[in-house]
Amino acid sequence: MKLRPSSTTAIALIPAGAIIALAVFIPVVVLALENIRLSDVFSVWGRPGVKEAVWFSTWQAAVSTVATVTLGLIPTWILSRYRFPGRAAVHLIMTAPFVLPTVVVGSAFLALLPDALDRSVWAIIAAHIFFNISLVIRTVGPAWSLLDDDLIHAARTLGASPIQIWRRIVFPLVRPALLSTTALVFLMCFTSFGVVRILGGPGRATVDVEIYRRAVLLGDTSGATVLAIVQTIVIATTAAIWMRRRSIALSTAQSPASSFHRPTPRSLIVGAYFSAALMSVPLLALIVSSLRSSDGLSLRSYRILFGFENVERLPLDIGGVVLTSILFAIIAVVIAVPSGLAAAQALSRRREGSRSGLFHSWASAFFIVPVGTSAVVVGFGILVTYDRSPFDFRSAWLLIPVVHAAIALPFVVRAALPIVQAIPTDLRHAAATLGASPRRRFFALDLPLLRPAVTSAVALSGALSLGEFGATSFLTRRDTETLPIAIARLLGRAGSLSFSTAMAAATLLLVLTMATIALAEVGSRR
Amino acid sequence: MSLRLENISVTFDGKRILEDFSTAVAAGHVQAIVGPSGIGKSTVLRVIAGIITPDSGRVLIDDIDVTSVPIHRRSVGLVFQDNQLFPHLDVAANIGFGLRMAKVPRIDLTQRVNELLELVGLQGFETRRPTSLSGGEAKRVALARALAPRPRILLLDEPLTGLDRELHDRLAHDLRRILTEAGTTTLLVTHDLDEADLLADGVTRLGYPDRTHQGVPR
Repeated sequence: MKLRPSSTTAIALIPAGAIIALAVFIPVVVLALENIRLSDVFSVWGRPGVKEAVWFSTWQAAVSTVATVTLGLIPTWILSRYRFPGRAAVHLIMTAPFVLPTVVVGSAFLALLPDALDRSVWAIIAAHIFFNISLVIRTVGPAWSLLDDDLIHAARTLGASPIQIWRRIVFPLVRPALLSTTALVFLMCFTSFGVVRILGGPGRATVDVEIYRRAVLLGDTSGATVLAIVQTIVIATTAAIWMRRRSIALSTAQSPASSFHRPTPRSLIVGAYFSAALMSVPLLALIVSSLRSSDGLSLRSYRILFGFENVERLPLDIGGVVLTSILFAIIAVVIAVPSGLAAAQALSRRREGSRSGLFHSWASAFFIVPVGTSAVVVGFGILVTYDRSPFDFRSAWLLIPVVHAAIALPFVVRAALPIVQAIPTDLRHAAATLGASPRRRFFALDLPLLRPAVTSAVALSGALSLGEFGATSFLTRRDTETLPIAIARLLGRAGSLSFSTAMAAATLLLVLTMATIALAEVGSRR
Repeated sequence: MSLRLENISVTFDGKRILEDFSTAVAAGHVQAIVGPSGIGKSTVLRVIAGIITPDSGRVLIDDIDVTSVPIHRRSVGLVFQDNQLFPHLDVAANIGFGLRMAKVPRIDLTQRVNELLELVGLQGFETRRPTSLSGGEAKRVALARALAPRPRILLLDEPLTGLDRELHDRLAHDLRRILTEAGTTTLLVTHDLDEADLLADGVTRLGYPDRTHQGVPR
């Protein structure tokens, strides 16, 4: 008897695999093979700005990471260990920034900070903290919420003081989650592009910004390629070493936190509310800034943005830009969600058929690697790869949403995997014994059970596409400009009018992103 | 070491869990509290260990009031119903945890851990992970861990609940032997009267009309 031939597993991986290969792997490999002049491999490091970019990337990422993890642990502890009124709202406010477009976050800090600070390294670090604190809450939080109160009590009855409890129990138990979060936050900050493009300046460029500057502004394609490839190799090697070290999961704690009576101390509730308030300040500043003009609070910047008022003729067709952004997001969702869910289904069938264990670990790695490949390198690779006769995809606008889908896919797969894995296989068998055909099983069983996975997949890929900046920077044309690109262009222009219009556009992008997530949420509740 | 509880009252969310509860265990004795689930048996143990501070009443060990002594200075060993072994430590490190907290020198620590492994019949299990243990083995490790620092009082919360029949009977006899050999003043709670009779020198019934009725020793 063969209920599920093993070949279906491989077939289900093909669409997602093809998209990632086409939009990530092939471009990066072609980039490496075709664009490097050997002489540049060594000489590029001496060119102005390169050493500075490597140094700046490293130290600001180190400072940002330490600050993010340190500051993030406090709200993480409160949110994962206690129940109190308004907890869900606090959790939402604290974790939402992760899906926000980098350009929106950059604009928000531009609006928030006084002129003296808003283009300094501190603005960049603050934006990185704001952006990545959600990663700490999302990864360390679950580990801590599994930590049973009675485990702490057990240690205490054995004579462990509160400090020893932290050193010997609380910290060791979240160490795997904490270490991988630290690595991930460092990676995000090191390869930060959108935030640094907006808040940075001379001497404050990350390697990604330097790659963009060399490739697009200076025409040093070969030098930019060397930087891109070296960065990709370093990240991939580090990630590979990292993933080889097996971590102890907390799966041993079967019960998610003891139900034992535990009131939340008032000071912790206040602390949670305070962190949520602090996290909403940048976005409020952005909205306020978009409503401010020379004649006090007004909707003037929105009138200019939408073309009702023609002052100094801003070269911006906002209607077209918004339509392009939405169209790209829809296409990206349509591509990423079905292929991502199919891949997640296939990857979740690990236990059936042990022979395919090796295949599975390779397949899993395949879907993780793109996370470590910076969007800038991907965009750059596509720019040079598909610039030849059989394809010439560069002028084909469809390429941009495909790239968005490829960038979103690893996140979609990772978000859907635990939900798919939680569906017992026997449930399907049970439905089959009750007479449900495969078709009926899909619609009556799989689809309803997969709903949470569909929700997060739609929200993630839609939000990522709307806000994607790194790769799109390379691929955009005048007629395929997306909102993040338009915002960055407006911010690059002098004058308070283009600034407030940029703030209005950033607010619009913020609203669009939130609407996408809300829509996915509502759609799944029906 | 004798144990005495005087007029303990505990309230949660306005609900009275224990009211004016008193009991005593003579030094070196094994006493059992028997009663249906949800009657506050576990709460009694948590009050003795210091996890819960009672609204009123006193906990006395050797006639000294310890009600306000923090958990980690009470020297009361508690075996949780679900064991609560530290998942990131192996069996030897779990058993040695309390000794490490007491800063016992490494040589003495290893020797004591070996003693306990022998006492609970788990020689050779030193480097095993808690996740790889069966229910009975995990219970033995939890017992050894609680006994290792030589607590003044040992508390057992439903020590045999959830084990399958055969294991239950074997562990019950072993447990009785271990408790006798250790000689520690012990209070255990269970919902099973047979189990209480088998393990304990005396039985206190809880949750019946006369709450503090002192059971008849076997």
